[in-house]
Amino acid sequence: MVFVGQGFVVWGSGRDEAVVRVGEADAALRGAFVAVVGAEGAGANVSGLLVRLNVAGGLLSSAVVAFQDGNYTLAVERAGDCVGLADGVLGDAGLLKADAVAHAGGWWVTVSFSAVGSVVFVGVLLLVWRLFRRFYGERFLKSRPEVAG
Amino acid sequence: MWSLTEYRYVFVAVGLMGVVGFSVPSAVMVVRLPGGERFSELYVLGPGHMAEAYPFNVSVGNDYLVYLGVGNHLGSAAYYEVVLKLRNSTEALPNATSGVASSLPVLYSYEVFLADGQTWEGALNFSFADVVFGENVSSVGMIRINDAVVNVDKSAAWDNVNNGYFYQLIAELWLYNTTSNGFVFHDRFVTRWLNMTSAV
Repeated sequence: MVFVGQGFVVWGSGRDEAVVRVGEADAALRGAFVAVVGAEGAGANVSGLLVRLNVAGGLLSSAVVAFQDGNYTLAVERAGDCVGLADGVLGDAGLLKADAVAHAGGWWVTVSFSAVGSVVFVGVLLLVWRLFRRFYGERFLKSRPEVAG
Repeated sequence: MWSLTEYRYVFVAVGLMGVVGFSVPSAVMVVRLPGGERFSELYVLGPGHMAEAYPFNVSVGNDYLVYLGVGNHLGSAAYYEVVLKLRNSTEALPNATSGVASSLPVLYSYEVFLADGQTWEGALNFSFADVVFGENVSSVGMIRINDAVVNVDKSAAWDNVNNGYFYQLIAELWLYNTTSNGFVFHDRFVTRWLNMTSAV
């Protein structure tokens, strides 16, 4: 039998090969999920990756069903497709994580904004206070005393 | 007219408010408010996506449909496995108290990846084959679940109290643990009783 999977042609598939390929697909899926969790932990939006992982998970389930049915060729094909998808997710998760980490590196801009903003605000307020105090004093001195009663 | 001291208090208050206001962006990066309770849902719905019209009396030659659902409220992405098992009334259920899954063989599994707050619903089509009725006993040779045909070789004795041959479909929820690099029983399962009524 002939099948096409992962861009190459394989002549037939035995039970042993199917066991190996399904195991590889399972491991690839787990590895991809761990990478996605890492990207999420770094602050990346991983919803798109999870959609692709669900597709890969469906392929793994199909591979397992085909294996149980004794259709080892189909099991190998589906497992190969699963590995291809999972590897893609793994790579993209790495890129997203790197992007998220680089973006998070800009935290000092926020801290600087807080520090400089506070200092400038307090400085301006002190200046206004001095002007106000002078204006208040002059106004106090110009006021005429009133005699009550 | 206010005194100079009273005006000073006003300026100090405005100054403090300004400093607090400028500190908010930095504080947001550091302060993490506590989230809600962390949990996962597992549920089963009837053919109309409602908690009704569940199949109960089953027989050979008929297809049955229910929907399984999973909800992630763990605060992060999760990799779930929903595994299906079949038992008769003498075999053990999963133990929710001790968190031990059923030791029965897995007939079918769903691989489900969910973001926090997401839910998933998957169709569970099933039918039975090779069903034999003997004297006060029935046996099921095969069960078809979605596109998989699985040998089960399960028997159930006649239940004198409830009048039927009862089998129970179990759906267990397993969660992938990234630390141990394996699935662990998530201490959640749902069941549906099925009464095998006749063979063709």
